Amino acid sequence: MQFGIFSVGDVTPDPTTGRTPTERERIKAMVAIALKAEEVGLDVFATGEHHNPPFVPSSPTTMLGYIAARTERLILSTATTLITTNDPVKIAEDYAMLQHLADGRVDLMLGRGNTAPVYPWFGKDIRQGINLAIENYALLHRLWREDVVDWEGRFRTPLRGFTSTPRPLDGVPPFVWHGSIRSPEIAEQAAYYGDGFFHNNIFWPPDHTRRMVELYRTRYAHYGHGTPEQAIVGLGGHVFMRKNSQDAVREFRPYFDVAPVYGHGPSLEEFTARTPLTVGSPQQVIEKTLTFRDYAGDYQRQLFLIDHAGLPLKTVLEQIDMLGEEVVPVLREEFARRRPAGVPDAPTHASLRAAGANAEEKAGGEAERKAGEKTGERAGETAGRKE
Amino acid sequence: MRLVVVSAGLSVPSSTRLLADRLAAATAGRAPAEVDTRVIELRELAVEIAHGLTSGFPGPALESALDAVTEADGLIVVTPVFSASYSGLFKSFFDVLGARDQEALTGTPVLIAATGGTARHSLVLDHALRPLFAHLRAVVVPTGVYAASEDWGAEGLPERIERAAGELVVLMTGTAAGREAPRAEPGRPGEPEGAGKPGRNGGFTVVPFEEQLAAPHR
Repeated sequence: MQFGIFSVGDVTPDPTTGRTPTERERIKAMVAIALKAEEVGLDVFATGEHHNPPFVPSSPTTMLGYIAARTERLILSTATTLITTNDPVKIAEDYAMLQHLADGRVDLMLGRGNTAPVYPWFGKDIRQGINLAIENYALLHRLWREDVVDWEGRFRTPLRGFTSTPRPLDGVPPFVWHGSIRSPEIAEQAAYYGDGFFHNNIFWPPDHTRRMVELYRTRYAHYGHGTPEQAIVGLGGHVFMRKNSQDAVREFRPYFDVAPVYGHGPSLEEFTARTPLTVGSPQQVIEKTLTFRDYAGDYQRQLFLIDHAGLPLKTVLEQIDMLGEEVVPVLREEFARRRPAGVPDAPTHASLRAAGANAEEKAGGEAERKAGEKTGERAGETAGRKE
Repeated sequence: MRLVVVSAGLSVPSSTRLLADRLAAATAGRAPAEVDTRVIELRELAVEIAHGLTSGFPGPALESALDAVTEADGLIVVTPVFSASYSGLFKSFFDVLGARDQEALTGTPVLIAATGGTARHSLVLDHALRPLFAHLRAVVVPTGVYAASEDWGAEGLPERIERAAGELVVLMTGTAAGREAPRAEPGRPGEPEGAGKPGRNGGFTVVPFEEQLAAPHR
């Protein structure tokens, strides 16, 4: 199972000091967070993509490329890459380029984006959000798998004889997660392709997450990719920890109460009772996170939101230290102990390359066998009798 | 038949609730079958409605109310007139409902009613409530019932209540009879796998991906 950090990349004032970081500070902080994630043994760092203030990460592959150069093992991902307003051709190129630079340590999570004006700013119509996601991904999927693409669709100019370069590393396209919070169409899309499905459950009660994941798992099996239990599921989570849970609550409450996303709504206590948010000791985080599999099944990727609500970088890095030292090692062990045989790990470049090589070998063997049969046919009855 | 009454009165007792109860009783009295009536007092849900707007998901009591409204065969909605329109709480309830499921009231017969201090605001029914429920694709009965303070001591109100209730019953009878199986059954994990069984898809209606792929070209 993979554990990691996902960042929205918001520039939010620290409510306890009133200080707002500069964009440069925030961007550098995101890099520091990624480096810390690798240092403490986490598996994944994923950045958001936004095209409006107060968010900084408009150019994910630039940031991830920089992080790639400074890390060795960390998988670089996104949360999410906008499949609606980005040109799928540019996504194909950018992430294949990143794949080469990062030696395959790349996957991405596609999402639609819910900021209405971003669509018209990029020449799109938000009412076509689902259709854009479907058509654009259908093209992206082909661009990474076919060397020369002829294509015509509704939302971009046609392609004649187009080759997206560089070709994916080792001929293995980056693994794709489809992220959606409440659109069954996207769970269906993920299932159809046999891709991963990421449910960012952080603001949602368990029952909603259960339904979305169940839909994806059922349809994954329907499309013949495996059993429902073999589908590739990722979940979010957000935590704030201190050794003593009272200290965690005391320190986090001023951030929670005015946070742009959940401030001024239900209380911290109500929120922790009804959503995955955990504010408490590392042990409480472990216990809460283990409950996710009760409603989502055994899953492959757990991403934590840590750097939000204006928390200072120093605090965030302490949180990641605690995750790496006290939480994730226990979670790895406990999830592994509970997981039945046959539930796969999240695909990586290495595993996909190996699977591809296997498939090729099989296909090669098949072709040889068929060729042999033909020869046999030509040779006449003898070969036929042998079978 | 499931009748749900939404009352947005704020005081206890309130004339809004009084009107709501009169309308519900008249409806039950005219119905050909037994009527299962549930009254939802929005006052009790006020905090959860506000939280629903800010956090995006309903609290448990609000969720139960939204479910009841979604599954109703008929709806009676009554709001006090505030600042020449329905109350903000009344609107917020239906905002939360629509945000959760924009089809929640599609085809549901709705009797609209309002109370006010004076009869001068009686057109609020036709200028505010009727368009709101038209937007929600509900079927609004022709007679709306407005009760100003003075109506409680004057002629005409009981007749309007009866007429509106009669219209609602006619529509509800049709709806209850023609109602299909519930759209979204909650899923049941742990159930043995069976293709096409409702519930195995998390309760969602699935549009097969091939159809979705073809959609942009239609």
